[in-house]
Amino acid sequence: MSVPSTSGTPPAGIPESRLPGPFEVGRYAAGLRERLREFQRVQLIGELVNLRAARTRVYFELRDSDGAIPCSAWRDDWERMLARCATQPAEGMQVVVAGGCDYYTGSAASSPSFSFHVADLRVAGEGDLLARIERLRKQLGSEGLLDLQRQLALPSLPRTVAVITGETGKARDDILAALLRRGWAGRIVWAFAPVQDRHAAGAIVRALTDLASLGDVEAIVIARGGGSIADLLAFSDETLCRTVALHPIPVVASVGHHTDRTLLDDVAAVSASTPTHAAEAVVAVDCNAARAANLAAAERLRVHAERALGGRVVQLDAARRLRDHGRRAVLTRARMLSTLTRAPEAHIQRQRVRLHQQLREIRAGSRRRLGDERALVARRALVIARKGDSTLLDVRERRPRELEQMLRVLDGHDPQRTLERGYALVSDREGRPVASASDARRDERLRVRFADGEIDATVEER
Amino acid sequence: MSDAAPEPAPGAAQQLTYEQAAARVEEIIRRLDSGEASLGETLALVAEGKALIERCAAELGAVGTALEELRLDELVARLEQEAGA
Repeated sequence: MSVPSTSGTPPAGIPESRLPGPFEVGRYAAGLRERLREFQRVQLIGELVNLRAARTRVYFELRDSDGAIPCSAWRDDWERMLARCATQPAEGMQVVVAGGCDYYTGSAASSPSFSFHVADLRVAGEGDLLARIERLRKQLGSEGLLDLQRQLALPSLPRTVAVITGETGKARDDILAALLRRGWAGRIVWAFAPVQDRHAAGAIVRALTDLASLGDVEAIVIARGGGSIADLLAFSDETLCRTVALHPIPVVASVGHHTDRTLLDDVAAVSASTPTHAAEAVVAVDCNAARAANLAAAERLRVHAERALGGRVVQLDAARRLRDHGRRAVLTRARMLSTLTRAPEAHIQRQRVRLHQQLREIRAGSRRRLGDERALVARRALVIARKGDSTLLDVRERRPRELEQMLRVLDGHDPQRTLERGYALVSDREGRPVASASDARRDERLRVRFADGEIDATVEER
Repeated sequence: MSDAAPEPAPGAAQQLTYEQAAARVEEIIRRLDSGEASLGETLALVAEGKALIERCAAELGAVGTALEELRLDELVARLEQEAGA
């Protein structure tokens, strides 16, 4: 067996062949690569198949019915291309690639390969899709539908909110967690719907219609996580966007990442960047913080009331009051005192009646009522029935214990209550407090404030 | 009495949003803490603050006592069942 020479003159070729050579294959491969690279760089369109990623490169084929070309791209370049695509390319999609022919020459240990080296890529028709959405946005704008939801006031403390989202999505957990963090103790009506396929828009429209007819829902969140324009296409659906625009309940949209923009974001009352932000928009008041602030404020008021009255209250002699105001005034006050001693029951009852009144007024003021009243009553009755009457009534009947406690503390230190107990405030005619007998003798002309009004008085004793 | 803490019209507490009411309470406390309010103003501010706190607490209480979850599909199914019955 002869050993081929590695130096000196090249071995002889095939004697009968008239072709030049033989050339060393590595050199020829390098030459081929140079020639291929000289081919005009072009854009190709076809179906993306066999997409696979290696350590440094991404490979796929571009096909149509007449043929195919193997394609490749550097992994870093590929990531950059994806970032520029509003729609993420996937297996089976029509794509346009830009680049040129290339040839990997291989080596003693690796196989050579031809590929079309891809420098840029877009999903075919993406421009058409975006243009169609833009046209629809302009159309809705010209009909005034982009502003309607923004005119609806979001309640800062809703009692019932609805959330339209995927049943198994992360958005659901995020919203629930955010509401719990706020210490919000209302009702969530979950409206689970597909949030990306072709059924999504229709399902969401149905949920919106059902929610409108429930009557008690005060705000609606529509949420899903990020995705491509194609994934989020359902949220630019014309019927869905028109339904939201004309919906009587304010809708907070949280669709995709903050960089994604769908038509829903334009028609909704609020466009939130994340499901968590949507939850915070829909319950604007941090209930935990608000409860603490209320208690702290009540305590501050109590301290101020106490300080204001300390040393300035003069209990007048009963006989003097009898002479000054007559027997009737004393009887009135006595009745008032007796009423007060019947507290706290009577007081609590009064507060309860007041709370009921407030609740009735707030409910009556709700302007978002759809459908005929009878259907509404039936539906509401059903909602109540589902919960079992006791829970709902409980919420309305029972004032939280902490409020009762706070009011009792406040009442105990209410200056007005002090006056009602038979005390009076003494000041000079300019309203400056007179806190001692000697000051009173000096001022001579005084003003005495009772619970039911003020009288001017003159000091007789000098 | 100072102009710094104008007294709202009676019943104004009912027209404020929750946030406005809470902000007004803070304003009242600040004014009282400043020590500049006269006796008469102090008494008026305490009364106004008390009414606002009471209203805020009532609104918080009216939301409910514990977070509760319902499903729209179940509610609708019941409605339809009832409509059919």
